[in-house]
Amino acid sequence: MRSLLNKNSKKLIMKRNFLLMLFAASSILLLNSCDKEIAEEDNDGEVLTTLELHFTERGTQNSLIYKFDDPDGFGTGSVPPVIDLIRLLPNKVYDVELRLLNKTANPIEDVTAEVEEESADHRFYYLPATAGNIMVDNLDKAADGLPLGIKSTWTTGAKAAGTIRIVLRHYPNGGKATDDLVDSPKSGTDIDTEFATAVD
Amino acid sequence: MKNIPISFLICCTCLFARAQDCSLTLKGHVEDSDTKDQLTGATVMIRSLNQEVTTDENGDFNFIKLCAGTYILEVTHVGCEPLTRQLNLTKNTHLDLLLPHLKNNLQEVIVSGTKRLTNTGFKQELAGARLEQASGMSLAEALAKLNGVTLLQTGSTISKPVIHGLHSNRILTINNGVRQEGQQWGNEHAPEIDPFIADKLVVIKGVDELRYGSDAIGGVILVDPKPLRYLPGTNAEINAVYFTNNNEYVASGVFEQQLKKQPSFSYRLQGTFKKGANVRTPGYRLNNTALQEENFSATAGWKREHYHLEAFYSQFHTKAGIFTGSHIGNLADLEKAISSSKPADIYLGDAGYEINRPNQEVSHRLFKLRSNIYKGAHKLQLILAAQYNQRKEYDIVRSNSNTKPQLNLSILTLTEDLSWEHPPVSNLKGTVGVSFMQQQNSYTGRYFIPHYISATYGGYWLEKWNKKRWDIQAGLRYDYKAFSTKRLRNSVLTEYKFDFSTLAASFNTAYKILPDMHVNINLSHATRAPHVNELLSDGIHHGTATYEQGDINLDPERSYNVSIGFDYANPGKTFTAELSLYNNYIADFIYQQPEPDEPVLTIAGAFPKIKYEQTNAVLRGIDAAFNYHFLKRLALSSKASVLRAYNRKIDDWLIMMPADRLSNELIYTFKGNTHISEPYIGIEYANVFKQSRVPGDKFGKQDYKEPPPAYNLVNLNAAITIRYGRYPITLGAGVHNMLNKSYREYLNSFRYYVDETGRNVQFRIKVGL
Repeated sequence: MRSLLNKNSKKLIMKRNFLLMLFAASSILLLNSCDKEIAEEDNDGEVLTTLELHFTERGTQNSLIYKFDDPDGFGTGSVPPVIDLIRLLPNKVYDVELRLLNKTANPIEDVTAEVEEESADHRFYYLPATAGNIMVDNLDKAADGLPLGIKSTWTTGAKAAGTIRIVLRHYPNGGKATDDLVDSPKSGTDIDTEFATAVD
Repeated sequence: MKNIPISFLICCTCLFARAQDCSLTLKGHVEDSDTKDQLTGATVMIRSLNQEVTTDENGDFNFIKLCAGTYILEVTHVGCEPLTRQLNLTKNTHLDLLLPHLKNNLQEVIVSGTKRLTNTGFKQELAGARLEQASGMSLAEALAKLNGVTLLQTGSTISKPVIHGLHSNRILTINNGVRQEGQQWGNEHAPEIDPFIADKLVVIKGVDELRYGSDAIGGVILVDPKPLRYLPGTNAEINAVYFTNNNEYVASGVFEQQLKKQPSFSYRLQGTFKKGANVRTPGYRLNNTALQEENFSATAGWKREHYHLEAFYSQFHTKAGIFTGSHIGNLADLEKAISSSKPADIYLGDAGYEINRPNQEVSHRLFKLRSNIYKGAHKLQLILAAQYNQRKEYDIVRSNSNTKPQLNLSILTLTEDLSWEHPPVSNLKGTVGVSFMQQQNSYTGRYFIPHYISATYGGYWLEKWNKKRWDIQAGLRYDYKAFSTKRLRNSVLTEYKFDFSTLAASFNTAYKILPDMHVNINLSHATRAPHVNELLSDGIHHGTATYEQGDINLDPERSYNVSIGFDYANPGKTFTAELSLYNNYIADFIYQQPEPDEPVLTIAGAFPKIKYEQTNAVLRGIDAAFNYHFLKRLALSSKASVLRAYNRKIDDWLIMMPADRLSNELIYTFKGNTHISEPYIGIEYANVFKQSRVPGDKFGKQDYKEPPPAYNLVNLNAAITIRYGRYPITLGAGVHNMLNKSYREYLNSFRYYVDETGRNVQFRIKVGL
């Protein structure tokens, strides 16, 4: 009888211990789920907000800057991008240098150098509408001699209004060739913007 | 069909008589030794022959054409202790088997093992030979062998199950008794579960759904491992699978042991490794479609007369390449890719195993502690579980030096489920339970969904009553879910708080018209609170070149489902048929509506906007299947699945619904003997119709491309189990797309760019040790 009692009480103690263990385990789990400080969103340089075109009129010190600017990126609550009208003088030659920025980074990040470093996998296209009387040529070359297009020469004709589309293509698997079209399936789009132009 | 055993009870140490009289019959009857109930749906297995039968309505079973010899019978039933019985068969024999009532096990009340729809409006099970056919495939691919289940795919490496047109958060996946909580909201988020853990996969709809949540609008998938062994000894099984298409090899092993000295303790270790190279379509090989997976699990149990404690840990890790040509920079790129009949050569032709960007890497860890306490006829169960899921998506990035993932989501989930099964009151059995869940989600990198913390409190009550020809079940569940979200962007903190109350109820009546003819009617109501991605997603989806936007004003969606099931078997069981009809009305159904007139302008061009909206939807359909042994060894197995899904608000079809499909399979079973179980070979002809029921363009363009044409596939399946010494060895082969046809599937988002996988031959071997 005595041993039976002992056995029963042992069992009870075991059961209690067992339940205690469960509660201990659950409370530890619960504590872990406490609120943490949240971090600022960071897309490490993958975001491009701004494309700047720096114009220098050949033979002068006259310079102009036009840009596509979307400093807060896209998405709910963000301000739509501002796209400048590119105004140039007729019958002039401009040396143009392009700059890419990420304004969501603090400080503002200049991404141009990065594209230049990986010039074998990138290529800019300048596609002016013929009515705009702007011609773009003399694109700079990547290290391997293939077109890159960070620098270019713009030549204006008579007064006209038009558009120019500027595209940055990225070759994830390499294979860039001089005669690749802007929509080559070998490459994907990083930038595709259209500016209105005015030669006046 | 031969089944994997539900429980490995003992290593087969069968002796075989040399004198062969192979026309003996073994009949028997299985009863619960305590209640004297006839046990329907008990599994009786002769392992050495790899033969398994299920007891019928009266608890009877029948083996025919056995050779004389010594066999070990293993009998299992969901509510009972397993039983092993050695038998020396010399003449036709009848056995009465008494199974002790399982005191320590609080398994699902659903009766598993029944092969017919007897208890719920829609219940389908994949086990045994059919599950083996899916050996080495993903969980979703295995489930797609069930009628009414289709796949939602992102290429060949990512697939998730669709039940009657519904997927993602509308389906609950229960991994070993725990509600799987990963990042299952996205179309390219596959379930993070190793199918080799499962002994059977069950899809249920009806009253038992309520145990797991009030939000199972599409149904519940149970991934059930076999119970731990509680008989002394060890058990092991090795599976190896090879697929020719992408040189994929899979190795999986399980070892379990129960020591004689410690009769209360049992454990199991299990692991799987999988590695596949780039996939080949009939015309070309797709670069960056390789995959790799490593999984591990351990289970330990401690079982005494009045309690049973089980700890389970599992770890799932996968890395899957996503075809490079599918990563789309903007809409123009997408249109260019769609208009080409074949992707650019630069994305084709590499047969290697290397995984580059884009890819996704997902890991899921689960720790579960289950304790059952048994007191008289009361059963108490407590399940505590912690899950940690991490999902990293590596996009194609502009900078080659970037090694970070662009999307990195981590989610921690804690669940506590307590249930009490009351003692039977006359014929009434029931369970009352409460469940709690806490969840924390965080992200780094690109935004898609915010940080959030959520808490859910739920309670349910189920009752089941049966007498003679009737089986009636009813249940009710209520959940309260509250969550708060945070996003810190450009130094601006955006916070939201949400809370939702959701109610679910289910009523099921089954009536036995004849011993082998049943009709079943199920009425179910479920409510699903909008998920955080539906409320707050805000970003570009690179697979579809769309800008996805959530809506914080969404209401919970409510489903009202009526389903009628009917099944029949003729007296000789040479003909069996199942029919299931359903009508699912979903009020405030959440879906993605393209807004072609509101493109979002970014520096990479304009992206079409897709917005989460609500409508009233009706999904109705029929699943039908029959199996007819028109010759002694030759059977025809046919199934058909039809679905019609309407968007009531715009009075048009719902987008992205599976097309109607039909499959006919001829199966020839060869004669077996004591050393070789009955080998089979089956040839399947599967037809998938064109999905012609898609929304029209009256609200702008709804899709980039017309659904692909209908396709037909020829598939093969064969297996043989031989006994080598005391080890059963199963050899199997399967051929998918035997004629190497080029086709595209509507529910694969890659249908825009590439053909589906070409001919794929699977070789598999399973060795029991």
